[in-house]
Amino acid sequence: MKMLCIAFMACVVSTLHAVADERVDFESQIAPIFQQHCVRCHSSSDRKGDVSLATLEDLKANEYVIAGDPDGSYLIQLVTSQNGKPPEMPKEAERLADADVAKLKLWIQQGATWPAGVVVKQKAKADASWWALQPLMLAPDAHLNSERASSEQADSSDLAATIDAFIRAKLKEHQLQSSPPADRRTLIRRLSFDLHGLPPTPEAVEAFVNDPDPQAYGKLVDLLLDAPAYGERFAQHWLDIAHYADTHGFERDKRRDNAWRYRDYVIDSLNEDKPYDRFLQEQIAGDVLWPDDEQAVIGTGFLAAGPWDFVGQVETKSPELRRSARSLDLDDMATQVMTATMAMTVNCARCHNHKLDPISQQEYYQLQAVFAGVRRDDRVVSDMEVKTYEEQKLQLTKRRSEIDFEIGRLDGEGLNLADIVGGGNGLGSGKHRAAIDPRNAQVQTRDFGKLDNVVTNKFSTSDFAFIDGVFIPDGEDGTAEIPVSSTGTAITGLPKTSGNAWDMIRNGPVASQHSPELGGIDFTQAPHSVLGLHANAGITFDIGAMQDAMSGQARSLDNALRFTAKLGYFGAVGGHYADVWVFVDGKQVTHFPRLKREDGLHVVDIELPSSARFLTLVATDGGNGFSMDQVGFGDPAVKLAVPAELTTEYRQRLEDLRKERQKVTEKLESLEAPARFFGVVAESVVPEVRLLARGDPESPIGDALQPEAIGSLAMLNPKLGTLESSEGERRAALARWITDTDNPLTRRVIVNRLWHWHFGTGLVDTPSDFGFGGGRPSHPELLDWLAEELVRQNWSLKAMHRLIVTSKTYQQVSYVDGTNGGAARQIDSDNRLLWRQNPRRLEAESIRDAVLFVSGKLNVKQGGPGFEDFQYQEAYAPIYTYITADKPELWRRSIYRYTVRTTPNRFLTTLDCPDPANMTPKRQTTTTPLQSLALYNNDFMLRQAGYLAERVQQDVGSEQPAQIIRAFELALARRPTSNELHLATDFISKQGLFALCRSLFNSNEFVYLD
Amino acid sequence: MNISYLRRDFLQAAGGGFGGLALTAMLAGEGRAESHHAPKARRVIQIFCPGGMSQVDTFDYKPELEKRNGKPFDPDGNLQFFASKPGNCQGSHWKFQQHGHSGRWVSDLFPKLATCVDDMAFIYSMHSKSALHGPACFMMNTGFALPGFPSMGAWVTYGLGSEADDLPAFVVLPDPRGLPPGGIINWGAGFLPAEYQATPLDTSNSKQPIVDLFPPTDFKAATSDADRAGLEFLEQLNRLHLDSRKDNSELDARIKAYEMAARLQLSAPEVTDLSNETAATQQLYDIDHPEAGPFGRQCLLARRLVQRGVRFVQIYCGAENTTSKKIRPNWDSHEDLPRDHGYWGAVLDTGASALLKDLKRQGMLDDTLVICTTEFGRQPGAQGGTGKGRDHNAGAFTAWLAGGGIRGGVGYGATDELGFKAVESPSYSYDLHATSLHLLGIDHTRLTFYHNGIERRLTDVHGHVINEILA
Repeated sequence: MKMLCIAFMACVVSTLHAVADERVDFESQIAPIFQQHCVRCHSSSDRKGDVSLATLEDLKANEYVIAGDPDGSYLIQLVTSQNGKPPEMPKEAERLADADVAKLKLWIQQGATWPAGVVVKQKAKADASWWALQPLMLAPDAHLNSERASSEQADSSDLAATIDAFIRAKLKEHQLQSSPPADRRTLIRRLSFDLHGLPPTPEAVEAFVNDPDPQAYGKLVDLLLDAPAYGERFAQHWLDIAHYADTHGFERDKRRDNAWRYRDYVIDSLNEDKPYDRFLQEQIAGDVLWPDDEQAVIGTGFLAAGPWDFVGQVETKSPELRRSARSLDLDDMATQVMTATMAMTVNCARCHNHKLDPISQQEYYQLQAVFAGVRRDDRVVSDMEVKTYEEQKLQLTKRRSEIDFEIGRLDGEGLNLADIVGGGNGLGSGKHRAAIDPRNAQVQTRDFGKLDNVVTNKFSTSDFAFIDGVFIPDGEDGTAEIPVSSTGTAITGLPKTSGNAWDMIRNGPVASQHSPELGGIDFTQAPHSVLGLHANAGITFDIGAMQDAMSGQARSLDNALRFTAKLGYFGAVGGHYADVWVFVDGKQVTHFPRLKREDGLHVVDIELPSSARFLTLVATDGGNGFSMDQVGFGDPAVKLAVPAELTTEYRQRLEDLRKERQKVTEKLESLEAPARFFGVVAESVVPEVRLLARGDPESPIGDALQPEAIGSLAMLNPKLGTLESSEGERRAALARWITDTDNPLTRRVIVNRLWHWHFGTGLVDTPSDFGFGGGRPSHPELLDWLAEELVRQNWSLKAMHRLIVTSKTYQQVSYVDGTNGGAARQIDSDNRLLWRQNPRRLEAESIRDAVLFVSGKLNVKQGGPGFEDFQYQEAYAPIYTYITADKPELWRRSIYRYTVRTTPNRFLTTLDCPDPANMTPKRQTTTTPLQSLALYNNDFMLRQAGYLAERVQQDVGSEQPAQIIRAFELALARRPTSNELHLATDFISKQGLFALCRSLFNSNEFVYLD
Repeated sequence: MNISYLRRDFLQAAGGGFGGLALTAMLAGEGRAESHHAPKARRVIQIFCPGGMSQVDTFDYKPELEKRNGKPFDPDGNLQFFASKPGNCQGSHWKFQQHGHSGRWVSDLFPKLATCVDDMAFIYSMHSKSALHGPACFMMNTGFALPGFPSMGAWVTYGLGSEADDLPAFVVLPDPRGLPPGGIINWGAGFLPAEYQATPLDTSNSKQPIVDLFPPTDFKAATSDADRAGLEFLEQLNRLHLDSRKDNSELDARIKAYEMAARLQLSAPEVTDLSNETAATQQLYDIDHPEAGPFGRQCLLARRLVQRGVRFVQIYCGAENTTSKKIRPNWDSHEDLPRDHGYWGAVLDTGASALLKDLKRQGMLDDTLVICTTEFGRQPGAQGGTGKGRDHNAGAFTAWLAGGGIRGGVGYGATDELGFKAVESPSYSYDLHATSLHLLGIDHTRLTFYHNGIERRLTDVHGHVINEILA
């Protein structure tokens, strides 16, 4: 093949020489030269020396290329040797072959044509033939295969033996062999920390060590996998990849109080051994695929788990800053999904084509198009639950309102007009500051200023209970007939107004009201109320309807009512005034000309005879502009003109009603609001996504992009929909594409992660990068066999765990001695071939949890909101001040910690707990003096050492050898050696039991696994 | 000679895991990586003024802006800043004068720093990719407007290791009033191993200048005698444990870490104790001044730290998430710039000028690089009803450098006539970082670390050394 290639090249070159007149084709002949030698440094994104060879612009502008004049073109001078010196360019690539220079010259000679739209881009180092993108290899070794195929129900030890066969085969190639198995004491400690993140109890250790059953190890594995602590342990690994935390991060690191439901979802999913494909599908599109399955919906918390810039996306007024923040937000989402599931570093293709892997910039933005229609937000778990909740709430509220109404009727307290304006029944069910729009009688809740689209003297009929309608009056010098009721009643004689209106007719002060206080009463404080009526506006109440509602058998009198209120001008002093009018059935009953603040409150008390139908309140601007004309009717009420005595029967009825009201109120208050989680919600329309030049949100180019996956996986169809696809369809399609059984990466990636978690290093040692920049698999056949096995095991992760940890490879000793050391250390010091198990330092969370477990203080409460080991102080950027965790609520496992992004728990950070701003596929382990200080002096550690001392004392009394033995068993899962016992006896007699416990917590053995 | 490769090879030789390496960076003289070229600076003190320092009121003299005082800044109404639409042009709230032999312009906000201009190089054409505090602070500290990337101090310690064997290589001195925007990840190690993160020193707590340096005083059982005996016993236990695991260098490293922790218990209280500095020095930094004193102490402490071999010290002049209300807790002067810059200006002026003079006097300025920067600048147009504030401006700000191979008295780049945008040689943090690394003997394109698919750099894929400000 290689030979053929060279021959072909030679052929091309000679052809060129032969027919110099033939036209040079830019795309096939010139572009490859630039691609190979130039654009790595001279591209639109890099532009070293201020020149890009990606397009013609720079070349022409600076006379690098002068069409028709190759010798005058600077480019040719640069790539040819001048005065005996080697060519100046390329600096960091191979120099151009003479034939290439000749081609360039010819191209320039012929006019240097560069077809429109052609951009020369650097070629990725890997193409679609890259190993990770190929279908899974079937294990080549026939006996491995046949062994498998022959027994459908091969038990896990046979399968585990397959793993060992792969490992041994590779060791053999290097003349190495496996190490002996570790003893049971080592194994149970290794397994406990590995599967639970906790040490074994001394009792469990003894039971296992003395179990005569040859299947003891397998039983232990099953026991551990079945315990809830398994999910708690492995959820942390998954949350590392999802860069989960309980706050938003960035400058204002606000709380994300509903995030924990996703954390619990991960724990529960792992514990119930949810098939891995389903687990992924739920996290990418569970809300679309299984909208009625609460757990599947909560799974989408995965998409929202990372940081989110509140200031950039919400707070700032600058649209440019918002676009920038949003663009990074989508990048985070797409990157997380693709690196977590398929270890594809798509983020590298945001500003340009991926330099290493076959992922184009366009493909990157096509992936963004999958997520463009969602944003991170709190979301209700179940729409059904919300519906039920709202129905119940509505019914109870309705019932309470009916009761209130009847009580009010019996009690004669009347109807409050402000409450009615707030959408209520007049008895308190309205919302404070809710309003009716004087332009159209619509409900309004937000504040308005000067109103647009005002049509004066137009009566709008209302759907509010007891309100007939509203209008904006302009008397036009007294001539205008202003309709004030739905039956056509009209008034005349109002003065000319500015025709302007401000804000709404409100249950409460109007927008920007000067003060809610007048005449010594603050009308926003109970039991007061105020109907805010800014000039120019009018409102007509339906007295007839009120009479009907308030009349009844309880009352013996006729339906005469009265309207009472404390009228005032709530605007500022200083020349501001308004006119206020009250009409009954279109007839003026009272008028307050030039009402101003200095006038204080006017008592209004108007009889409404049983014949009355409409009560109309009007405020006009007094002819001096409508500014400040904040008129208000304080405590406005319509009640029976003459209250009557109650009969005994009705007194009893009143009492019953009050009792019932109490009950209904209690029910209302105990209604639990529907559960919420932090996830993603759909935008009303899916915004268009275009390729962004250099990743700059201000430089979109080309057409809107369809949702599409990566094309280099040849076995899959990358289409994920069209421009018309809904956002839900897009995510669902991506979820299916990722979990397609033909997708080789998804399976390789998860089995490699499992391997990484069990051995400390994956078969590929970059678990989130299977591209050119990542590691190559140490055992490619084993990796693919495991990936196949995952499907044969119905995507069961527990089955895969069992398979791996029951292998002999897993159970080897981790130390090196004469039997296994020698050659292996020379040939494979990294132990990539797994001639032994790797010793490992515990992660930060495991250290903390193990300390609590050993001291006997671990609180095993599962699930629910995270515990807060800090004091929270509300501020522009909230302040999180850590406290010593010294009470049971704070002694829960670390997975249940309320994780703060900008102010992480310093103790854990010091012990290498990663920053949740980053997706962390692989924990790092460092050894620093600050860690020594933290473990030796931190208040939490000292107190826990004290509790361990108390526990030991309780368990075995005050005998010294017994104390020492017990402390060692608890902390290190073994008895002390005689040497240690001797040393410890001496130490404890001088320094006490506490000091021994403190030292044990600090020992290398406590924080390391063999 | 690629530092990252050097270090990777070393890691592989050490048998995987970072244990052995950790010590070299945290506290050690041995195992320093080699430089790419001869360094001019051996250590760095960086002063960070969070909130956004105004360029037009400090170092970037704009007579044209003064001329247009009161005229609309944006007559067409096209612009929308972070929090507001621009008001009228507002010239500097302080008078500008020329200073020193170099004749550099400095406003009267900085009377003391003005006497140092011949040692300072100004980059007038700084700009940022974000006008939000959090992302812009991240960018200035890490080269990326996102959280999660290593800070410059972390990169420098990763590249050069430490010169001190009893102090951390990278120390941060946060403002006593609180954390800067974005919190402690401003000096985090990002994806670099945790030992490259800064160690915060708490100068207000002489008993416990480093978290957990000693047991809490109210913990009676942990006496200093018991502490020592416990450590001895611990070492015995660890040595016995190590006997059968001799190949695991991390275990040995961990034993050494406890020894170094003990040394740190001696050195940290010594370095933070300012009482044995002369009265004149204390006066120079004005350490007892109720307002300027705390920052002065930080600057003096920074000098003591680098004197003892600390590689990188970052000092914050301003906070963010604090509840104090009297003045703005940092330079973010939206409502009343004369009040807030007036306050912070006096604070910075005293401490920073004292630091430059003191370093020079001690002969340390030559190989100590001092950097002073902010995350972005402020608008030439006024903000707020009274017009006394200024909104955020990512388009222009000024940074200055001194010492360690910097040519004093020079200016680089320029903003437009109003100080709105950098127009001549616009420079991002990349260029500032590239230049600083260059002075430390590091080629910024070759200081890399693999993370999630990319060989990451402090300067991303950008950065030019600004030769014009080099001596």
